[in-house]
Amino acid sequence: MTATGLALRTPRAASAHRVLAVARRHWLLLLRSPHRFFDVFVWPVVDTLLYGSIGLFAADAAAAAGAGGEVTAVMVFLLSGTVLWHLVHQTQISLATGFLEETWSRNVMGLLTTPTRGWEYLAGVGAFALLRTALSTAAVAALALAAYAFDVTDLGLGLLPLAALLLTCGWSVALVVVGLVLRYGSGAEALVWGALSVVMPLSGVFYPVSTLPAPLRPVAELLPTTHLFAVGRELAAGRAMPWGELLWATTGTAVLLAAGILFLGRMTAVFRRRGLVTRYS
Amino acid sequence: MTGAPLLTARALVKEFRRGRAVDRVDLLVREGERVALLGPNGAGKTTTLLMCLGVIEQDSGSVELFGHPLPARRAAAMARVGFAAGYLPLPDRLRVHEYLRMYADLYGLRYPGRAVREVLEQWRIEHLAQSIGTELSSGQRTLVGLAKAVLHRPGLLVLDEPTAALDPDVALRVRDGLLGLCEREGTALLVTSHDMAEVAKLCERVVFLSAGRVSADGSPAEVAKRFDRADLEGVFLHLAAERDRSGDRTRDDRDRDRNREETLA
Repeated sequence: MTATGLALRTPRAASAHRVLAVARRHWLLLLRSPHRFFDVFVWPVVDTLLYGSIGLFAADAAAAAGAGGEVTAVMVFLLSGTVLWHLVHQTQISLATGFLEETWSRNVMGLLTTPTRGWEYLAGVGAFALLRTALSTAAVAALALAAYAFDVTDLGLGLLPLAALLLTCGWSVALVVVGLVLRYGSGAEALVWGALSVVMPLSGVFYPVSTLPAPLRPVAELLPTTHLFAVGRELAAGRAMPWGELLWATTGTAVLLAAGILFLGRMTAVFRRRGLVTRYS
Repeated sequence: MTGAPLLTARALVKEFRRGRAVDRVDLLVREGERVALLGPNGAGKTTTLLMCLGVIEQDSGSVELFGHPLPARRAAAMARVGFAAGYLPLPDRLRVHEYLRMYADLYGLRYPGRAVREVLEQWRIEHLAQSIGTELSSGQRTLVGLAKAVLHRPGLLVLDEPTAALDPDVALRVRDGLLGLCEREGTALLVTSHDMAEVAKLCERVVFLSAGRVSADGSPAEVAKRFDRADLEGVFLHLAAERDRSGDRTRDDRDRDRNREETLA
């Protein structure tokens, strides 16, 4: 009961409803913001058309030159890379813009003056991000199937741990970006859209990182996404799950997630200590 | 007052780069008490308020809300506190009932739908339920913000400039609503405002801050008497002039206070 008598949920149920309330708030916002469908559907579809058509063109040209087999594999890598990349990209963008939305609508102070805990808020935006990513990736996968006869489910059951780890990577990068926005304010907002553009070429989304310039290869090897996309290429080529790569990827993802959580915690502490909330009031 | 302490802040200190914003402030709000935190711009009111809510962490000193130390037990404490600020907008693209429903869930209410209906009725804003928050007038936004803050019937309601920029009729409605709420439910009130007349009607105790320190604490009449002024407005102008002499204020502040004095004259 509150001070004057309203019935309260049990602590566990209250937590669950807080998570749902945050997710619902962002879902309603998405439904009422047609321009946001650009991020969710238009860009992913454009990417699929772009990489799918490049791959098809290369495959046709190679077939005419008598080297069709390998280039068809490249096309499969381009399409599987596109679908898998959107798991990372959409999760990161959805979570980070979800938080930005609170700053744009100056709702940060309102949230901080409720019993909502940081993890409940993040879980709510994370749940929304998952839903948004599912929509976006479904659109990409459906287009890849309809236009280029590429079926992402051909990757088999290995797709499940792969997808889970890619989602976790997207989430972890988003935690770092949210931390930077808390600390540096609107000046850091560009990172929401820009952070992954650095990660993408280094992760070998469409190619093995052995094709990167030599000085960049050790950096690329450090990224869990590099190992995840290597796993994706193996599966797309119809080969067995490369367990060694998956183990590296899982370890790297766990480290990245822990680093993201620690960094966000640190930035939240700075945010409270320096009274940076007044930026949003 | 003999009610149990709801908010106890002791020796709060907060420094920012520009200097010490809050300097060893003590603040006590008891059950059912209506307290105003007053002072000229830059006196440290909002910083003190935000430290009392656990939103900003104090450099030293302690805050206890409903017996919970802040910021460590912030979540538990905030279940019994409501907060609204006249300067905060409502979130984009949410209808009023959806906004209230979200906060009812955040407060952990078991029957959020019922609580939303009751609070809309209580503040006589049922007709706004389907409106999008950003399409409302400032008066309507203030009423919805207050409805949000009292959804869970908090024991302590903290309001930062609740009637800033409101028409007098809406300000009156807000004040009457708050007084009714405090009488009916025994809610304690901690409020900051620049409207001294409103404060004198709404609050039974005022705490004046000046340059980050408590310079007076008592009933409006006691405080006015202590500074040898006719009312709280006079005390405010006196403290603003002191700050002016110390040079710790902006040109905007000086212009505002000068206009105020001219208007009063």
